[in-house]
Amino acid sequence: MTARSLEAVAPDAAPVARDTRDTATRDAATQDAATRDAATTLHPAAAARDAFPLAIRSVSKRWRKDLPLVLDDVDLALEPGTVTWVGGRNGAGKTTLLRIAAGLIEPEQGRAEVWGVSVRENRARYQTLVSFLPAGDRGLYARLTVRRQLEFWARISMVAPARVRQSVDRAIDEFDLGELADRRVDRMSMGQRQRLRIAMTFLPDPETVLLDEPLTSLDDEGAAVLMRAVRGLLERDGVVLWCSPSGERLELSFDARWLIDQGRLAPA
Amino acid sequence: MSEAITAGHAFLAVLRRDLSIFLSYRTRLVSQLLTSVFSLTLFYYVSRLVHVSGFNSPSAYFGFVVVGISMIGVMYSCFSIPELLRQELVAGTFDRLLLSPFGAVRSLMAMTLFPLMWSFILAATTLGLGCLLFGLQLHWSTVPLGVPAMLLALLAFLPFGLLFAALTVLVKQGSVGTSWVIALLSIVGGLYFPVSLLPHWVQTAAKLQPFTAATSLLRHLLVDSSIGEGAGSSLLKLAVFAAVLVPASTFVLAAAIRLGQRRGTIIEY
Repeated sequence: MTARSLEAVAPDAAPVARDTRDTATRDAATQDAATRDAATTLHPAAAARDAFPLAIRSVSKRWRKDLPLVLDDVDLALEPGTVTWVGGRNGAGKTTLLRIAAGLIEPEQGRAEVWGVSVRENRARYQTLVSFLPAGDRGLYARLTVRRQLEFWARISMVAPARVRQSVDRAIDEFDLGELADRRVDRMSMGQRQRLRIAMTFLPDPETVLLDEPLTSLDDEGAAVLMRAVRGLLERDGVVLWCSPSGERLELSFDARWLIDQGRLAPA
Repeated sequence: MSEAITAGHAFLAVLRRDLSIFLSYRTRLVSQLLTSVFSLTLFYYVSRLVHVSGFNSPSAYFGFVVVGISMIGVMYSCFSIPELLRQELVAGTFDRLLLSPFGAVRSLMAMTLFPLMWSFILAATTLGLGCLLFGLQLHWSTVPLGVPAMLLALLAFLPFGLLFAALTVLVKQGSVGTSWVIALLSIVGGLYFPVSLLPHWVQTAAKLQPFTAATSLLRHLLVDSSIGEGAGSSLLKLAVFAAVLVPASTFVLAAAIRLGQRRGTIIEY
């Protein structure tokens, strides 16, 4: 599997992520995934399945019985080294899709898989491979400094104790947080907080990154830092699922673009 | 083995986080120490004002109630866990704990460490202040045994906090019923006055929870008060409560989180 950077992808490149029922490409991906699985040892059974860094399989979700389906039999598979954009109007179900992919909530039907394994089968391993940046500015401890926050996150992400300091220093460096390292979160601007949240998302070296409106509050410099992190992930054959209402502000060339409308995914 | 070591570091990280947050509020430590001093002062003069049947002297009742005051701090710490969880839900940090490889249940277990350790320190400080400021007489030969007894008591109390945390996951309120449970337990647990003064049926209820046994045991070890059912019996009762309720409450908490994930309500706050 060739690693690809964001710049390397032509703007009119054909979507790579596609319906999992596309048998021919799925077979090829399965072979790749089997090779990858040998390295990650996620699950012995993964090699025998249609395994992708992230696959959403026939997922349906309804919030209440009297409400329509927010996701209706959604299928999506991401191949290694790709970035996929999912858009749609407010309330279309983008965040719900990401929350299911992250293992935060369960669908009524279907499942999310990482290399063929669902969160139910191996929760800890799933959460080691997947990292989720929720929308908004929540998820930070207001009274902790940036460094303490990153250290805490590294520890509960089960980064090996000997590697924690190195991972934190690298995150501070890569996300330009050096000047803020000893500043408390409640004394930071929204954009600075967002940069910290993104640093936390990438800190444990995940293979699959789920981004929900990641450009919120970021200035050009912050956006560039994010792009650099995404590029680095893709070079390691990781995948990104990026959700935002519209794509006009984005200066990214996605490998695939989808829209959610009435619970269903359609090519954008 | 390395997984266990990494998990151990994660437990300590939660403890360190809570300590950092606690110390970031500079007046909190002073405020809690002052509360202890005011409570001690109040009960010191109450012990001298009224004659309490069953106590030979005002000092005997004062010793009795100081241990009770220390225990109520521990009780508050146990029941603070649901409120801490509620704060995590509102801040959106619970989602992060839930999505971490360390996991929500282990994170919540780790979140109990700081409040329980702090309540332990505060209880010891209260006893120390009682000695220094009000002449409380401790039974020094058995005081060291109070440490393991208190640790066992904390294990027996912990499940109550975890069960209320499970309730918080489901109903999104941190203080559902905790205040009246604390009030009820402080009565039937005999924190301020002997359980023997209560109606017979309440005395029976007092035996069905670990707070009474723990308080009696600690009084026996710290201020040499008589213990009705024997120290061994109290220890056994605490051990059984801990052995049965810790796994049971952990299971209930995990089930509540799972139910929230299935319903999708885990993201609500």
